[in-house]
Amino acid sequence: MKKSEQGKTLIAAKAAGLVAWAAVMVFAGVAFRQHRAWKEPVVLGPGVTAVRSLHEWFAPLKGTENDCNVYVLDSGLPGSTILVLGGTHPEEPATNLAAELLVENAKPTSGKLLVAIHTNRSASTVTRPGEAYPQFYSIKTAWGQKKYRMGDRSANPLDSWPDPETYVHYPSGQMLAYMDIRNINRTWPGRPNGLLCERTSYGFMQMIRKEKVDLVIDYHEAELEYPVIGTIVAHQKAQEVAAMVSMDLSASQFRIGMEVSPRTLHGLTHREIGDFSDATALLFESPEPFLDRVRGATNEALLLTGVDEFVQRAGKAGLLYWPIDEKGWPIEVRVGRHIATTSKVFEVWNLLYPEKPIAVDGLPGYGDLAAKGVGAYFADPASVAKDRVAFE
Amino acid sequence: MLNHALLVLGVMVVVFAVASRLKVSVELSMLLAAIAGGLAHGSGFSARHVVDGAFTYFDVTLIFLSATFFMNIVKESGGVDYIVGGIVKRFHANRFLCLLFLTFILLIPGALTGSGSVTVLVVGALAAKVLSEMGIPKEKVTAIIFLCAAMSAAAPPVNLWAMMAAAGSNMPYVGFIGPLGALSVLGALFSMFWLGWKGSPIDAAKVAASIKVDARMRGWRVGLPFAVLIALIALSRIFPHDFPILGLPLCFMLAAATAAAVSATKVPLLRIARDTVDSLLPLVGMMIVVGILVQAMSLSGVRGLISLSVVTLPLAVIIGALFVILPLSEGLVQYASAPLLGVPLILLFNMKGIDPVVALSAMAVMWPLGDILPPTLVVGRAAVMVTGYDGSYYKGFVKATLVPALFILALSTLVVIFSGQLTFLKALG
Repeated sequence: MKKSEQGKTLIAAKAAGLVAWAAVMVFAGVAFRQHRAWKEPVVLGPGVTAVRSLHEWFAPLKGTENDCNVYVLDSGLPGSTILVLGGTHPEEPATNLAAELLVENAKPTSGKLLVAIHTNRSASTVTRPGEAYPQFYSIKTAWGQKKYRMGDRSANPLDSWPDPETYVHYPSGQMLAYMDIRNINRTWPGRPNGLLCERTSYGFMQMIRKEKVDLVIDYHEAELEYPVIGTIVAHQKAQEVAAMVSMDLSASQFRIGMEVSPRTLHGLTHREIGDFSDATALLFESPEPFLDRVRGATNEALLLTGVDEFVQRAGKAGLLYWPIDEKGWPIEVRVGRHIATTSKVFEVWNLLYPEKPIAVDGLPGYGDLAAKGVGAYFADPASVAKDRVAFE
Repeated sequence: MLNHALLVLGVMVVVFAVASRLKVSVELSMLLAAIAGGLAHGSGFSARHVVDGAFTYFDVTLIFLSATFFMNIVKESGGVDYIVGGIVKRFHANRFLCLLFLTFILLIPGALTGSGSVTVLVVGALAAKVLSEMGIPKEKVTAIIFLCAAMSAAAPPVNLWAMMAAAGSNMPYVGFIGPLGALSVLGALFSMFWLGWKGSPIDAAKVAASIKVDARMRGWRVGLPFAVLIALIALSRIFPHDFPILGLPLCFMLAAATAAAVSATKVPLLRIARDTVDSLLPLVGMMIVVGILVQAMSLSGVRGLISLSVVTLPLAVIIGALFVILPLSEGLVQYASAPLLGVPLILLFNMKGIDPVVALSAMAVMWPLGDILPPTLVVGRAAVMVTGYDGSYYKGFVKATLVPALFILALSTLVVIFSGQLTFLKALG
């Protein structure tokens, strides 16, 4: 082949490569846009008395991706105020599903519930590069499939970027990995002029103080290779509650541990909320094999069933901190653990603090949830008045 | 699931091997392997996964580009000539000090950028010139350049292997400066003195004549850009809640702007930027493709298969084989070896009571030594190129690196084993 012909071939190859890459970018861009713009309908249950926005407690959050909905479920009777946080890490879907289940079903008869389904909403608009998460997952209901955004652990770089060279936590000064400044469970208690997650945490802290929240419950899931799993992590002020819940549930329904929040580990809900407000805090961890690094194919089925041959093999080799068998850890069991633990916390709370009760009707039991599935507790948005539907 | 993952892995390996055989570049071979693996996996692989994967190491790539741009401006403005010329002028009578300072000069570019190639490209040729004038045989000079470049890539603050493995295991990139610094500096010094101690006295006049130092160049012109860089990073740590968050790429760009502004000669910024991108294209391409490959492997379960295969080996076998596995995997798939092997190993070490930060640091010093190995030979090839070594690659150059490389690998293995006793090294941050 002559030199000029070779040159032409090279140019043609480069042009073809460029066109192919442009096509890939366009298709991918459309997929990213659809994911970021997807709205999850939430039917306001009988207990919901108002839907507020986080910016009502901290105005600068208005218009940001993290100006999330805060569902108010007020019994109108005196009692404790409890804040439940779902979606702190949107790659842990049992957390937002459990929070949504509360919004659609819980009916307080004393005290007040505040619920955030997507605490770090920005993180629910992106999946983690390199992990191959599906962008969406669907929950089967009696009226059809309900579609949700799968998210990441950290806020979307489109909303918070660049990261610092090293993230220095406020106010402790503890140094953390640079990307943790987008992980809202490393930015508590937050600061008003910080980056997005620091401001979001600050907004929640303002809410906790102004609404005189007594207890914050933060839902999480963890990989089975991670030592903090199947447990309640408690600020020392909530140590007694956590211990009693752990003992009671472990004896009656399912094994759940309890550990006290380390005093030197900063930025987490169970440490900072207790230290910087009158409220106390609990964090629940349920097992999510989808997050394990030794997992097999990454797909929606694994996300929802928690069945994975490779994770099981790792378990047989003694490499996991939590058991797994061929039944896996289905989403209904994981959500069921959170809801049952929440119910038990309310029960124990009333024993310890009878002067500030919290009573909530309408929550399914662990067995019912595991048997019927999560979707059984979600109403059809098309079947209710428009003003009884909110969007996440 | 096992059979499926094996099948996809098989497709990836075959496509990579065939593409390499057809003389397709390593980066494109890897891209083809990733796409073929994704397609073999079947449902679920889409354009979104390709782009998602391509962004896995986006921040690191920006650091790469901006840091190298900065170092290239320093070089173009005569800063590197000034420093090396100064060392020769001042310390030519003292071989120990001369070698000592040359070691640190060789460590800086890679430490700032995380890339051994950048060290070779920015200061390699000049250091090689001085080392040759010190009577050191060419194969040893080339070996010194490679080994110091490898140790510079391992040196803190930027160690890409540790950063990638730490990110993959949800571990903060904190506490690495001490262990990475100790190992990389020891490794570089041992390499320099083992290979460079014997030779002839340096002919300062001859070297000085061959290094063209601009008469208008002054210490402050070289020092100020580095001072700006250090100040920006230091200020963001000292006043983290008052100082604006710039990000490392912008810090490097501001330092680069300073270097251009104080340069005694006019610096052709556009040409340097173009040359920087040109020279880094294979490296940046590698980072992008590694991300796509990891995405395809995660999607199909191949990553899980590899991780599981590694972590279910007996611990003693794993630790004993690290010095072979890590460099070989680096030679094969470059930085992809950090997320593929590093992450499961770190989780396993953590479970077995081995300090993950110290152990990962030691592993992250072993990885870059694989850059001399086939099929990629990235830094090895670059070292041969800049020194003009024309002897046998393996019998001359690689052979010359053996003793220092084995020293570094043995030292690093010991650090993994005794990581529990070395946790004090993490105190530096």
